[in-house]
Amino acid sequence: MSDVLSDAGDLSGEEESQEDVLTPAELIARLEEAWLNEKFSPELLENKSEMVECVMEQLTHMEQNLQRVKKGDLKAGIHRVEIDRIRFVLSSYLRSRIQKIEKFFPHVLEKEKSRGDGDPSFLSPEEFAFAKEYLANTETYLKAVALRHMPPNLQTVDMLKAVPEPCLDSFVFLRVKERQENILVEPETDEQSEYVVDLDEGSQHLMRYRTIAPLVASGAVQLI
Amino acid sequence: MDTQSYMPVPPGVGTEENFFSLDDILLSQERLPCRTEMAFPRLGFLEKSNDSQDIPEGTKMEMPLWLAKGLYERKRRVLAVELPKMYREGWRTVFSADPTVVDLHKMGPYYYGLGSQLLHFDSPENTEIAQTVLQTFIGRFRRTMDSSQNAYNEDTSALVERLDCLERALFRAGQSGLNGFQSWEKGRTSHLTASNLVINYRKRKIAEVQS
Amino acid sequence: MDPSEVEFLAEKEIVKIIPNFSLDKIYLIGGDLGPFNPGLPVDVPVWLALNLKQRQKCRIVPPEWMDVEKLEEIREQERREDAFTPIPNPHYMELTKLLLNHASDNIPKADEIRTLVKDIWDTRIAKLRLSADSFISQQEAHAKLDNLTLMEINTTRTFLLDSLNYMYKLRSNMQPGTGPGKTQDY
Repeated sequence: MSDVLSDAGDLSGEEESQEDVLTPAELIARLEEAWLNEKFSPELLENKSEMVECVMEQLTHMEQNLQRVKKGDLKAGIHRVEIDRIRFVLSSYLRSRIQKIEKFFPHVLEKEKSRGDGDPSFLSPEEFAFAKEYLANTETYLKAVALRHMPPNLQTVDMLKAVPEPCLDSFVFLRVKERQENILVEPETDEQSEYVVDLDEGSQHLMRYRTIAPLVASGAVQLI
Repeated sequence: MDTQSYMPVPPGVGTEENFFSLDDILLSQERLPCRTEMAFPRLGFLEKSNDSQDIPEGTKMEMPLWLAKGLYERKRRVLAVELPKMYREGWRTVFSADPTVVDLHKMGPYYYGLGSQLLHFDSPENTEIAQTVLQTFIGRFRRTMDSSQNAYNEDTSALVERLDCLERALFRAGQSGLNGFQSWEKGRTSHLTASNLVINYRKRKIAEVQS
Repeated sequence: MDPSEVEFLAEKEIVKIIPNFSLDKIYLIGGDLGPFNPGLPVDVPVWLALNLKQRQKCRIVPPEWMDVEKLEEIREQERREDAFTPIPNPHYMELTKLLLNHASDNIPKADEIRTLVKDIWDTRIAKLRLSADSFISQQEAHAKLDNLTLMEINTTRTFLLDSLNYMYKLRSNMQPGTGPGKTQDY
């Protein structure tokens, strides 16, 4: 039975953009990074559907192998625990994205609308469909319970104004993965002046998300 | 992150108001002392002290924030909004002396929210109001933090009694951080519980069966 | 983040176990483990160590730092210094709880260790509150927080971040027309 379970070989990104070949272990590490970043960033981050698909593939593959193993096998039990753990991270990651979509739906859709042709979408196709439906349902509901009873000139609500935008000026905790120099820290009060900090590898910081948002996207810092 | 499926919209804080925030809706009902600077025809029913059909120019009356904001115009003199007493100079001095002694719930309960909203009405004292509101928050922070992070498993009603709504929200955030940790430490989080949504759904089904 | 999720992350830390069974190498998605031979120490993640321990298939070797003398030293240093001192493991709190709750029979002086770790934790949390207070009252824009652990951050995260957010918005009141405060009419 060891043969059926010993095939955790390299998996190559078959799709265009993925030039680097990830081992399954690296893939899981990426998933965990994405999970924490998504949990702690005030805005919805770029979707990683390619990564999600690769993880799903790994899980399905491993589960298929396990079906051939008899119950009570020690090795299979350990594999099952690992699968459950990965599945937990994956669901929690997707769920925190859904929560943000529900929280910011008009803004998420607006960003998607104004996206240039070549730019990558922030939403997976499923998330996009979800966001659209969420908007439609909210509007229908508001109309049914309140708006239709209003005078005709007050029967619309501008969702973009009514739903608060993500606050990019929120503070976040982060750990540095790749050293960064000269990060500008803007002053909080008139008496202070702006200054720059170097972010050493492995160091941890508390600062505004706006300042380091590009570093989260590039993977140079990890939100914690 | 909260695992509940429904997340209430938080108040806007500052000059911004959130349309779907219950706190901001309540805040918009706060009354402001105003003086009319033109006659308001056929709105006499809003002013109970007078039987006349119109509200004449120069009438002193209280208006909810939402109405005052809607009627106020910078370019035209329609309405003058006076400062409620806790934002006037006398109280500002008290606040800057020691912000922790003040009962902000009694004065407020939307001290920070209303103070920020007042800035819409171009008072010459705006800078001082904004400054006092900010310094009051900073001056009371330590106390809010300590009380929310130290009270475990005790009645907190006395601790929150004198807090403004915003501070109460912070107090709750601090408490949930503390309680979360404490119950984790005692091993109480190892049991999974069904989400409220599921529990309520089951209840509804039972109710349907019974009816 | 829920504390149990922080614990979940701590379960990825590696500990040594001494198995009482034999098993070939396991090829997990997250990496290879084993082989397991009775009496021979082997490195595994904490989640597996606890799983095997509960099935009485192994003995857990306590991490080096989980030792009364070492922890006493850390506690003294933590009390002496104002800054957060380097901690032997970024998940010291979670690992102490997990290992002491599930494998206390493998850990000498378990009760003393529990008390020491709690002392260290309390000292550090008191420091964290002091720094949070000065961060707010000085209206700082950046803080370096080396050596602070995820569980420590997590107990005060929402409270501190919400406070900073409120403060930011109250401060932007002072610059009319800028900041996030747009006037909106409905």
